[in-house]
Amino acid sequence: MRLLTPFTLVALFASACGGSSTERTLDGLAADIFSGTCAADAGQEVTIYSGRTENLIEPVLDAFACETGIGVAVRWADSTQLALLLDEEGDRTPADVFLSRSPGPVGFLEARGLLGEIDDDVLGLVDEENRSAIGSWIGFSGRKRVAVYNLDAVADSELPDSIFELTDEKWRGRVALPATNGSFVDWFTVFRDQAGTDVATKWLDDMVANGAKYYPNNRSVVEAAGRGEVDIGLVNHYYNFQEVAAVGDDHRALNHDLADDDIGSLLIITAATLTKSTDNADAANELLAYLLSEPVQRYFTEETFEYPLAAGVEPTDALPPLSALEIGTVDFDALGGGFEETTRIIDASGIANQ
Amino acid sequence: MSTTSQTTPPRLLTLVGAVLAALFAFPTIYLIRRNFSSDDDPAGSAADTGLIELLTSERTLAPLWRTVKLAVTVSLTAALVGTALAWLTTRTDIPLRRLWRTILPLPLVFPTFIGAAAFIRTLNPGGLASGLFTSVGFDQAPELRGFFGAWLVLSLFTYPYVYLPVAARLQRLPGSLEESARVLGDSAAEAFRRIVIPQIASAVAAGTLLVFLYTISDFGAVQLMRYDTLTRAIETNYLGRASLAFALSLFLLALAVVIVGFERALQRRTHTATSARSTQSVGYSLGRWRVPGAAFVVAVGALSVGAPMIALIDWASDGLLRASRNGRPLTIDSEAVMSAAQNTLESSVLAALAAVAAVLPIAFLVGRYKSRVGSLSHSVVIATFALPGILIALSLRYWVLKSGIASDFFTDSKLVLIFAYVVRFGSLAMGITLVAVQAVPERFHDVGATLGARRLRRLRTIDLPLMAPGLLAAIGLVLLSTMKELPISLIIAPIGYRTLTTRIFGSFEDAFVAETGIMAVVLVAMSAVLTWLLVLRRAEHQ
Repeated sequence: MRLLTPFTLVALFASACGGSSTERTLDGLAADIFSGTCAADAGQEVTIYSGRTENLIEPVLDAFACETGIGVAVRWADSTQLALLLDEEGDRTPADVFLSRSPGPVGFLEARGLLGEIDDDVLGLVDEENRSAIGSWIGFSGRKRVAVYNLDAVADSELPDSIFELTDEKWRGRVALPATNGSFVDWFTVFRDQAGTDVATKWLDDMVANGAKYYPNNRSVVEAAGRGEVDIGLVNHYYNFQEVAAVGDDHRALNHDLADDDIGSLLIITAATLTKSTDNADAANELLAYLLSEPVQRYFTEETFEYPLAAGVEPTDALPPLSALEIGTVDFDALGGGFEETTRIIDASGIANQ
Repeated sequence: MSTTSQTTPPRLLTLVGAVLAALFAFPTIYLIRRNFSSDDDPAGSAADTGLIELLTSERTLAPLWRTVKLAVTVSLTAALVGTALAWLTTRTDIPLRRLWRTILPLPLVFPTFIGAAAFIRTLNPGGLASGLFTSVGFDQAPELRGFFGAWLVLSLFTYPYVYLPVAARLQRLPGSLEESARVLGDSAAEAFRRIVIPQIASAVAAGTLLVFLYTISDFGAVQLMRYDTLTRAIETNYLGRASLAFALSLFLLALAVVIVGFERALQRRTHTATSARSTQSVGYSLGRWRVPGAAFVVAVGALSVGAPMIALIDWASDGLLRASRNGRPLTIDSEAVMSAAQNTLESSVLAALAAVAAVLPIAFLVGRYKSRVGSLSHSVVIATFALPGILIALSLRYWVLKSGIASDFFTDSKLVLIFAYVVRFGSLAMGITLVAVQAVPERFHDVGATLGARRLRRLRTIDLPLMAPGLLAAIGLVLLSTMKELPISLIIAPIGYRTLTTRIFGSFEDAFVAETGIMAVVLVAMSAVLTWLLVLRRAEHQ
């Protein structure tokens, strides 16, 4: 018994713990991202406010925690609500990282001075047009604007090349716009930036005059197009893929890509940021880098049908290739101020009561 | 009925009432602060030039008018439907009464964003029931949208606010007056008008007020029905024009205060008949009206619960079938669903009990002592129901951070979550509890006091048994509403504390409809069991 010194006890204890952690591996989707055995607890934890939903992102965060040994604690909610919460909490927020589903909430937080600076080597993982010029956010996946249409109501020959065709008489009462949804608002802000506020405003007013129908979000447009309640709608490409994956061939709608150089083909990116007050910047930067790593980027395109933005990963075959003439992604930095004016224009168009 | 009344409330009770009023006022104070201080809001405050002009412009007044129009029509419809259902299921011989009494409260548990979406999925053109429409000669199903769609779906989802209190009230009404009226030659209809209506009027009014307040604060249903109300303008302006959103929220609150005052004035003029403990209430044989009566109950049940359930079950079964055939696997497993269901159960039961406990002192102050402090607390509790949930969530976060050293303790605390639910839904318990308090005959008290029973003992042996159906209905209302609550559950819950509704929201946002369907079916099944246990079984064993 005298051999069992306190030292050996500690050693035994340590090996017991080590033993259990070397056995731990992941299963399900997370295992597609990281299939090795989990690292020992690094004694750190990153707190994340995620506007990306758990069904898509949780496997990525599980893989990160397993591979690095850094714990993750997540508040899952709507991006807008989280931005409001971060604004309310200010420098006392427990969050280290904010993941946004669309650029708007990030622009809002940037204007409020609530975003921290991301490390240069993390920023360098993404192309310049998909990250902040001042280092406050990175894009980690993309969703492309498309026209979703009902197969039985719209003939191939009828399909438009540009959103400007939709103001034509032949589309009267047939088009759906998710006009107050975050991604539409962001898209419209870029539209104003690219084409000029006058042109964008006139387009929206013409759409309203042409009987465009309002829907609250992308999902409800895609669902309505599937049932044939509307013929065509301007949405993110993602939802129709998801609807087909869920409902199968019963879903009677398809995505249509507008011309490469049309504003209706914009890529809207989802973004990751650090909070200004994070006291855990190293682990948080590590998480951001992880989002941009090859296995995660591959996961985003293969499992969630999104466009990868880093690590040289190509979009999965199911996705239409991104155009060579890509007109660029949302310039969040311009969004902060542009946002208010966009909301005003959309409100004033009266689309929300169509 | 005795007219002697203890006019001065115990001091402690008044103090408790005042503290409760202050606690319930947290969101209102926050809202006023957001409107009238501009220091930390670069977008400016309500006092800034331009905003006042905007608030009184056509762009604001038109949605405001639509909100009022919708709230009035939904309130009237829910009052009629809820009262009729309560009478049919408690007083008549329509078939399967117990089944209906389990099913009819269930629309409360549908989060409107999912309930309305499922409703559309079933009934709109090309939907799951479109075969039904074409088989009866329609070209296609009518498109539910705009005012009509919003009115229909909100009426169907809010009638339980009237149904539950009125059913609880009808169960406790002495049958003797009705019997006498019948003996003296009144027809059933006359007896209903002369005897029953005056006795249930206060319960109907309290429930209808909730319907009104719910309707003006609803966002999920109106946006899916594409009816542009004030809440749409609020929700879509938070990021772009926060000051406008907060100013519009103040509009909602002002509207709520006006309508609450109106209801108080009305209640003062109605007379609450007292409850009886053991007298049998009158049961009516409907005779040739039995079939139309049953058809009405079936129709409401089929539309309000059946239609959304068809879509939810369709989504759920599609997903399960596909996963079992080696198609795309589900992103949730039974463990995840169980733990979310457990959290939902825990938080909603605690919130329901806490809410009833919180409003009980206020109900005594108002109902028994006609106290001013009580009246004020009562109005604060009820008007808060008109505030969007996200505002309550943000305001609590604000106050927690303001609480200095206590803020660490309160951050990520379940206590704050339950408190937030109580503030959000205390109003639901307030009206019924007040009616229940007022219905305890004062002569019982006088007798009890004469016999020397202490106050607490009187509460336990006299008041609570007589109030039981009302209190259980109050618990039921808060319980079902908390189970579906979204913004507070997302923003205030401790990190990692996930409920069925938050998981349903996440799944639905990214169009994981199978997962949405499965968890929504679990949510509805769970609430059916709870309704049966709480509101029905207990009440019938009294």
